[in-house]
Amino acid sequence: MTQPDLEALGKRVSAARAAVEERGETFYPGPSRIHLAAFPPKERWDDWIELDSRSFPNRVEKHYTLVPTTCFNCESACGLLAYVDQDSLQVRKFEGNPEHPGSRGRNCAKGPATLNQVTDPDRILYPLRRTGQRGEGKWVQVSWDEALDDIAQRIRTCILEERPNEVMYHVGRPGEDGFTERVLATWGVDGHNSHTNVCSSGARAGYHFWTGIDRPSPDHANAKVVFLISSHLESGHYFNPHAQRIIEAKEAGAKLIVLDTRLSNTATHADHWLSPYPGSEAAINLAIANYLIVNDLYDREYVRRWWNWEEFLVCEHPDAEVSFESFEAILKQLYSGFTFEFAAKESGVAVEVLQEVASVVGTAGSRLSTHTWRSATAGNAGGWQVARTLFLLNALLGAVATEGGTHPNAWNKFVPRPIYMPPHPHTWNELTWPLEYPLALNEMSFLLPHFLKEGRARLEVYFTRVYNPVWTNPDGFSWIEALTDETKVGLHVALTPTWSETAYFADYILPMGLASERHDTHSYEQYDGQWVGFRQPVLKAVRERRGETVTDTREVNPGEVWEENEFWIELSWRIDPDGSMGIRKYYESKKNPGQKLSIDEYYSWMFENSVPGLPEKAADEGMTPLEYMRRYGAFEIKNKVGAVHEELVPSAELVDAAEGAFGRVFAASDKPEDPNVVPMGAPEPDPQGRRPVGVRVQGSVRRGFPTPSGRLEFYSRTLADWGWRDQALPGYMRSHIHPESMDPDQLVLISTFRLPVQIHTRSANAKWLDEIAHTNPLWIHPSDAEGLGLAMGDLVRVETEIGYFVVKAWVTEGIRPGVVACSHHMGRWKLTDQGQRQMMATVSLEDRDEKWTMSRKSGVAPFESVDPDTKRIWWTDVGVHQNLTFSVHPDPISGQHCWHQAVRVRPAEPDDDYGDIAVDTARSHEVFHEWLELTRAADRHSPDGTRRPYWMMRPLKPPKDVFMLSGEPS
Amino acid sequence: MTEARAELFRSLGALTESPTPAHAGIAEALGLPDCAAREEHTEVFAFQLYPYASVYLGEKGMLGGEARDRIAGFFRAIGIVPPAEPDHIAVLLALYASLIEAEEAQGDVVSREMLRRTRKALLWEHLLSWLPPYLDKMMEIAPPAYRGWAELLGLALSDEAQALGRPDGLPLQLRETVARDPADGKSFIEWLLSPVNSGVIIVRSDLRKVASDLKLGLRVGERRWVIESLLGQDPQATLSWLASFCRHWSESHRRWVPVTGDVGRFWLERAEGAQRLVLRALAETEEVVAQPTVGV
Repeated sequence: MTQPDLEALGKRVSAARAAVEERGETFYPGPSRIHLAAFPPKERWDDWIELDSRSFPNRVEKHYTLVPTTCFNCESACGLLAYVDQDSLQVRKFEGNPEHPGSRGRNCAKGPATLNQVTDPDRILYPLRRTGQRGEGKWVQVSWDEALDDIAQRIRTCILEERPNEVMYHVGRPGEDGFTERVLATWGVDGHNSHTNVCSSGARAGYHFWTGIDRPSPDHANAKVVFLISSHLESGHYFNPHAQRIIEAKEAGAKLIVLDTRLSNTATHADHWLSPYPGSEAAINLAIANYLIVNDLYDREYVRRWWNWEEFLVCEHPDAEVSFESFEAILKQLYSGFTFEFAAKESGVAVEVLQEVASVVGTAGSRLSTHTWRSATAGNAGGWQVARTLFLLNALLGAVATEGGTHPNAWNKFVPRPIYMPPHPHTWNELTWPLEYPLALNEMSFLLPHFLKEGRARLEVYFTRVYNPVWTNPDGFSWIEALTDETKVGLHVALTPTWSETAYFADYILPMGLASERHDTHSYEQYDGQWVGFRQPVLKAVRERRGETVTDTREVNPGEVWEENEFWIELSWRIDPDGSMGIRKYYESKKNPGQKLSIDEYYSWMFENSVPGLPEKAADEGMTPLEYMRRYGAFEIKNKVGAVHEELVPSAELVDAAEGAFGRVFAASDKPEDPNVVPMGAPEPDPQGRRPVGVRVQGSVRRGFPTPSGRLEFYSRTLADWGWRDQALPGYMRSHIHPESMDPDQLVLISTFRLPVQIHTRSANAKWLDEIAHTNPLWIHPSDAEGLGLAMGDLVRVETEIGYFVVKAWVTEGIRPGVVACSHHMGRWKLTDQGQRQMMATVSLEDRDEKWTMSRKSGVAPFESVDPDTKRIWWTDVGVHQNLTFSVHPDPISGQHCWHQAVRVRPAEPDDDYGDIAVDTARSHEVFHEWLELTRAADRHSPDGTRRPYWMMRPLKPPKDVFMLSGEPS
Repeated sequence: MTEARAELFRSLGALTESPTPAHAGIAEALGLPDCAAREEHTEVFAFQLYPYASVYLGEKGMLGGEARDRIAGFFRAIGIVPPAEPDHIAVLLALYASLIEAEEAQGDVVSREMLRRTRKALLWEHLLSWLPPYLDKMMEIAPPAYRGWAELLGLALSDEAQALGRPDGLPLQLRETVARDPADGKSFIEWLLSPVNSGVIIVRSDLRKVASDLKLGLRVGERRWVIESLLGQDPQATLSWLASFCRHWSESHRRWVPVTGDVGRFWLERAEGAQRLVLRALAETEEVVAQPTVGV
């Protein structure tokens, strides 16, 4: 090169840049493309060569096609990359997908272990129908046609005979965003039932009452202080995407505060680890809040602008002047009782430690990211206040939807509008939404056996779908009683990729696909951005790249494993074969009317019409949007969404605008069509039917929050109006396991924590994970063990209010004195040879007039199979199924099952064997009634004659008239 | 003038990103013959010449470590939160461009002088400390699009070196690297693969070529394994090749000495030291081979 004129060159670039930017385009595409990591470059995914390790020392090249999909194990929906062997067309391994914006190529152990699940020798590969009694373990293989016709006919009859509430779909891990809810809507049944009330309803309630949105989305990576009430670095929702960002924050100097009674892996990474007495977390949060308030460390302007303090003053302090100063004066008094000394007394954490942590929180400014999900919110009566008081800290500091703060999840999630949006059903299911729980965030799923026992209703067709209530829920024996009674449950269909304790009590077991065998879309709040992930049957994708056509996933999946999208379409078509019921129209092709909707058309439509930016991005690479998603598995729609509530409402929307109380603004304009149908609260229109569009904040109409007031609801008018005025503010309720409620010889049992490599029912068929974690001893502090005369490994009886279980003691200082802990992941069992032989003990059950016992006949052992590793199983102990011995504890407000148990622990009896369980289900029904007494039912407390506040979220939401109670409100 | 200079560096930095249609416009504005294809980008940056300073300045020859920390520290010292990959060439060149602009925009003479010093520190500490050999290698192995890019960046950096003058001493990034001979054969290979130690940059295509030239089997895997395998198959031939390889690098570094002074001399001395070590190892190998076995 001759010496160029550098000056002239620079000017040329400047001119080119100016010309491009003048057109409104971007000249420099941005620095985000530079990240290079240890991943096969996507340009080589079609033909990626690795050496075959088994052929070593010979050099044998293996050619792979790399196809992205989405993990189906936990809720994180991390990206996977399937390595498909080009010779055998089998998946050889799963690694991370570097193109996935949430997980960014990283996975936990459960992602790669998907391979074990795919190749599990005990996997259910064909539809099975029961031949003996339910639970007897006699099955016959049937065709899909036979099963579909039978199920479809029963559902059709229920709908035609106007018994829609006898059809119920009960989901564990959804693994998708709304597809199946819409299926139920097309049938017109209010039959959606979730696992959420044994999981996250407590946390959801805390967030929902504040923001109208039921999940937090902390921007951990940019936080100055990260505050977790959870073991979020090792487990829990989004822990992999979050953990990597928390560590990034730590690397940048952020402080990590962890409240966890156990010395979890998360606690070991904390700068400040607090081990509180369970249930005292809200008291700690309030002591920190009080510190921020009395020391004027809160963001006054933020509180002034965004809290509904005016509503609070008017409703609760009618004599006070309606001014912010007057509110501040009251605020300073409100929490004055929550001193560090009080919190220390409740929690057992030293005053100095609490002071130190409060001062750290006080330095965060708007960069405080907080998170709680299950943990204390799922353990305690009133646990939902743990989330509400944690978010109070964000609300005080203005760390809401800020960089490094906590965002409402709906702004960081994108659910693309599908090809059809059926209306919600015109019916109300009392089994899932009973009168006693008008404010429950989700369906009262775990009470189902008790409602059936009382004869409130019956079910004709009950689907359990990737859900195992017999094992997962409390009070499993009551579930067995319900499921074995054909007068209560007419037909039980278990949709599951693997054997489960619940599937034993099914009439049909229908094998569903795993992460690499099904289509779904996902989007989760993992940072301040929005993305959509795509799960796909990877062998279909590979065959199509070779020019073949695959129209049904059963053609490429093992055995007759079927994906659910195709299953639901086919089932719905058979319910309404001629279209006369108005169902079939939602499953017809738009391109070829009268033909069945294909999966390719379904997702093509979605990606072409409802994912902004995707068509353009795909076109850049010469692909259709669907091809792009099949190629890369995920697409980021937006990064840095920011404070949506601060956005000004465009004047075009303010048609015939009217201002209601406290600045809520309503307008007569139609709601702009939004391709994102993410669920959130839906505040009601004004009496003239104008929809709420925003809220007036210091003169401007801003978007606000989807709450009735449009603001952050420090004061929940909803709670106050529905009988819970005493809980309308962020507060502290003493848990059912507060020392005051316990006998002196009782300990608290924490039963909810996860083992980082396991995920409920779904991972028991993953041999790598089972080898790492397969048992659940009882954590007990040396001081407690000494008092009970226990040594490491001794058998102990743990007595609950309805029975006991026998487990081994693990004496450790990793748990605080007075508390014991046992992970819920273990104790899988089977009654016969059927089941996962690597992780399920074989047991016998006995039922003598509602007095149940379980005893272990054998643990696991090596066995012959197509997988030589099953001969290498070296463990026999697979833990104890403690959840059987827990009665139901429904929180009267959130509806969350309160998992913590008051137990007595003592050395086992001479005749006790490991894994023994005894339960009195009559007693468990009594306990159910004791908790039912705590409720404030809609028919006694509804302020407006409805069953439930209409604005609150509900997966299926019937029209307003269905919300009305039949009688007059009291 | 400075605005154009900033644009020059920013655009050169942008061209190290994975190419999109937008990059073609940048390449065209720079008068480069061609914009690289994505496959070429992957081949060059993901497989041959990793575009991170820490790989060339770190004692382990790997990403991260103290070399990257020093660059992150530079960001912090000027009040910028370091990005995730602070030592990526695109990030460094973008920062350099920003500093030129900041200097130009500064009216106050003292502040302006401070910014000029900051710019000079970035140039010598984190750009000229490793880019000359990096760009030389790029010109040797890369496809035309990146050869043109490397040549242009080399000229631009030389021009900056002349304009801003040399620093008082050796950059900290190099000063802190103590010349240390490897203890044994295994660490010798690791040492060799750390450019700041050995003064040479060995990329995958070098190994492919030498295996082909010497008619040896090429083991697929990390460079360390490949070299180990070559040495295992024919130590003498491999070491002879390495000696000439080091000599070639010495000549390459020598050409930079008039521009970069002590920095060029640093790299020259390291490459010469590596050559001596290799020759010593070669002599030892020959001795071993020459030693007769004791017969029965």
